[in-house]
Amino acid sequence: MRYVGKSYPIHDACQKASGRAVYAGDMELKGMLHAAVLFSSIPHGFVKKLDCSRALEYPGVVDVVHCFNTAEREYNRYQSQFNQALIYTERVFNSHVRFVGDRIGAVIAETEEAAREAVKLIRVEYEELPYSLNVFETLKGTIDNVHPSGAVFECTDMVTGTMPEEDGVTVDTVTDLSRINHICMETHVCVADYDQYSGELTIYSPNQTVYGIRTLIGDIFGMDYSKVRVIKTTMGGSFGGKQEWVLEPVAAAAAIRVKRPVKLVYNRSESIISTYGRSPMHFQSSFTFGRDGSLKGVDCDLLLDAGAYLGNSVNYARTVGHKLFRGYKYPYCHFHSRAVITNTIVSGAFRGWTSPEATIMFEHNMNMGARALNMDPVDIRLKNVMHPGDADPLGNIPIGNFRADEALRQGREHFFWDQRKKEIREFNEKNRRYKRGLGVALGAHVNGFYPSKTDYARVDMRLTETGSVQMNITLHDHGCGTVTAMQMIAAEALGIPMEMVSLGEGDTKYTPLDVGCFSSRTTYVQGQTVCLCAEKFKDRLKEDVSALTGLPVSELVVENNLVYGKHHPEVCYSWSRIADECQQKLKHEVFVSYEYVPDTNPGVAGAHFAMVEVDTFTGMTKILDYLAVHDIGQAINREMCVAQTQGAVIMGAGAALLEHVVTKENGCPMGSLKDYHLINCFEALDVRVELIEDGGTEGPYGAKSIGEVCHTPVTAAVVGAVNDALKSDMNQIPLTPDVICAYLDEREKKEREKEA
Amino acid sequence: MRLSFVLNGKRKVMETDPDRRLLDLLRKDLHMTGTKEGCAEGECGACTVIINGEAVHSCLVLVCQLEGKEVLTIEGLEENGELSAIQRIFVEETAIQCGYCTTGMIMSAKALLMHNPNPTEKEIRSALSGNICRCSGYTQIIRAVKRAAAEGGC
Repeated sequence: MRYVGKSYPIHDACQKASGRAVYAGDMELKGMLHAAVLFSSIPHGFVKKLDCSRALEYPGVVDVVHCFNTAEREYNRYQSQFNQALIYTERVFNSHVRFVGDRIGAVIAETEEAAREAVKLIRVEYEELPYSLNVFETLKGTIDNVHPSGAVFECTDMVTGTMPEEDGVTVDTVTDLSRINHICMETHVCVADYDQYSGELTIYSPNQTVYGIRTLIGDIFGMDYSKVRVIKTTMGGSFGGKQEWVLEPVAAAAAIRVKRPVKLVYNRSESIISTYGRSPMHFQSSFTFGRDGSLKGVDCDLLLDAGAYLGNSVNYARTVGHKLFRGYKYPYCHFHSRAVITNTIVSGAFRGWTSPEATIMFEHNMNMGARALNMDPVDIRLKNVMHPGDADPLGNIPIGNFRADEALRQGREHFFWDQRKKEIREFNEKNRRYKRGLGVALGAHVNGFYPSKTDYARVDMRLTETGSVQMNITLHDHGCGTVTAMQMIAAEALGIPMEMVSLGEGDTKYTPLDVGCFSSRTTYVQGQTVCLCAEKFKDRLKEDVSALTGLPVSELVVENNLVYGKHHPEVCYSWSRIADECQQKLKHEVFVSYEYVPDTNPGVAGAHFAMVEVDTFTGMTKILDYLAVHDIGQAINREMCVAQTQGAVIMGAGAALLEHVVTKENGCPMGSLKDYHLINCFEALDVRVELIEDGGTEGPYGAKSIGEVCHTPVTAAVVGAVNDALKSDMNQIPLTPDVICAYLDEREKKEREKEA
Repeated sequence: MRLSFVLNGKRKVMETDPDRRLLDLLRKDLHMTGTKEGCAEGECGACTVIINGEAVHSCLVLVCQLEGKEVLTIEGLEENGELSAIQRIFVEETAIQCGYCTTGMIMSAKALLMHNPNPTEKEIRSALSGNICRCSGYTQIIRAVKRAAAEGGC
């Protein structure tokens, strides 16, 4: 292939390297004002009174929007489709405040500085209410009145298959995941502009679905959808953090009120505290294995901390259950989940959309099962892994050409698993302070929404008079090269140079209706749509040349920017000439619009291997080597797939060892990168990535997803390696030095007591 | 205050508030938005610029500290209307994804190469340890800096 499988820079790499790329925060519109938000300083209560008089007097202040003068309609920030069945708990500004960081109002001023200064001058009178900072406190009934719909939401109680009655080993474990944040380098931003004469609201936002924002904004403000235009801006990372709508309703409310463009930029602290993060989760699970290591049954109870508002939490807690069937085959599963409101940061989507969370729980149980049965952790996985031909039992969806088995075997060999096991045993026998361990984890994920939610995609292609192809498709590049990938696929399928294909990103005024760039659907579904549209486009070229020349379509060949007759080489049309003659003689544009509805959703897998060294004196963990083997079908933009996977490993390893948003006992969260630590360049290791590419999918050129699945096994692999090193059974994330030291102290104390 | 300093090789004299952050002076007053704000507390490196040859976080520099200094920002790197070597190499090595860290990363790398034209990998990692990239695992970035050093260009 000419393009597919090669490596190209992201489409706007030069603009980014030169500093010329324009992110929403860099935008300047004529007459633009700036907003700054007033956040609740208490975890739970009512705003009794707001005194904005001093703020309104501050030089440069134009207006103040707040909970007593702004659209009161309740909504759900997760809404992205019309009439979506969701529980509405949130307002643009809330007088019943439910966490430190809840939005009460916003000052609109000539400069951001003036807006921020004036916010400090607003006097808020609260009536404080009891609050809960964790699911167990809420379950005691402390905040039953937090929402009219209550504080505890049953999500799913699902039984699949039957438990075989035979002798086995059961492991019972507890998994606790702390709250983490996406830390996209670009903090949250939105610019909104309202034209009072046309009644049109335009929103500029880095986001994963322009149509989702259009729908929610239209609903909140009672606007016809045709009057809401949403334009996707250059996105400085999402990782799931820019697919629920937090700033957009605020900026829209402000712009509508002042009838001018308004820019709202959250700083880092505000982005951590007042957008959303990955939910804390508490799992209690019980896995039963046969004596040969075959997994017989899974029983799992999940309490998901939704934070103060129900965004996606009910759906998220339900989806954890769906992810239990993507990697392994076993006869019985009982999964029960509840989403529980607390007076903390709102929970929402995170890269993998429950796959990493489910995997951290699942893989820990696989490790504990292997330990109980004295089996090798790779062997117990190979014993249970799904194979091509198997189906996801929920909906009986075939998992297609799923190569988890191969990924595990290849990884075991290339990571020198067996050899290292021996070396590590010897190392640990000799060393008292430093202990080394190996971890393996299998992560599996999806390719699109099919069949659980609607999924379809549309691509338009039109030929210019200079012979290039303009593509119209609703894309949302997160910064991982979606636009380039589509350009590569189109160039490959059309047989023309990449620079002859142009395309942009989502804009509800011009690009086709679309369900958004998430659920790892972009390459698999939209990429395939590009391929199929290109085929139709080539057919169209032949039909037009046939109409112009009288040669039958079957006689015509499309190749190298030309259409020519197989047996009539004298008939040879450049694409430029076709465009010109179509306009002048046939009186139409060379244009094809194609809609694709996927009816497959194969499994995609990553087998990850980690080697760590834990300093038992300090509790510090160092990752010594890491290998990620991925069943990708076909890499489209190779180096970008590798780079994304390496980034996912650093992100997931950070979640395993460092990252968490701490909430103090008074309900105040820590919103600073001084407290929220990430693995930096100095600590990061060169992650090895291997791709298994044998196609066999309904994706473009046999491709499958990578961006989420590569994050799925990481935390589990690192935690597994730490537990291997210490012969421990911890599964609380993150395993910070404090957690590890406390565990070791406790264990030593117990051992001493036993000896005594 | 009246501030006089050199910005990207050109003398600049302007009226400004002494307690204004350099980052705001660049982004808001001079409309030079290549320098990004990522944390406002010197932790992420997105706002890195070079002052008198040293990489610094422009979110932590006040305008009153600039008098007589030479400031180099990402906008000052292009040469003859083209990307400079280090910028071009970042593009070619796929060291750019979302791009929000890129300008700060390039400025830190440039400051390193100005002082140390042949850094070891450890020295590169150390010099870039104050610049967070959330998309990559730093592999392509390190590779780009190594190549820029090898090709003698920054």
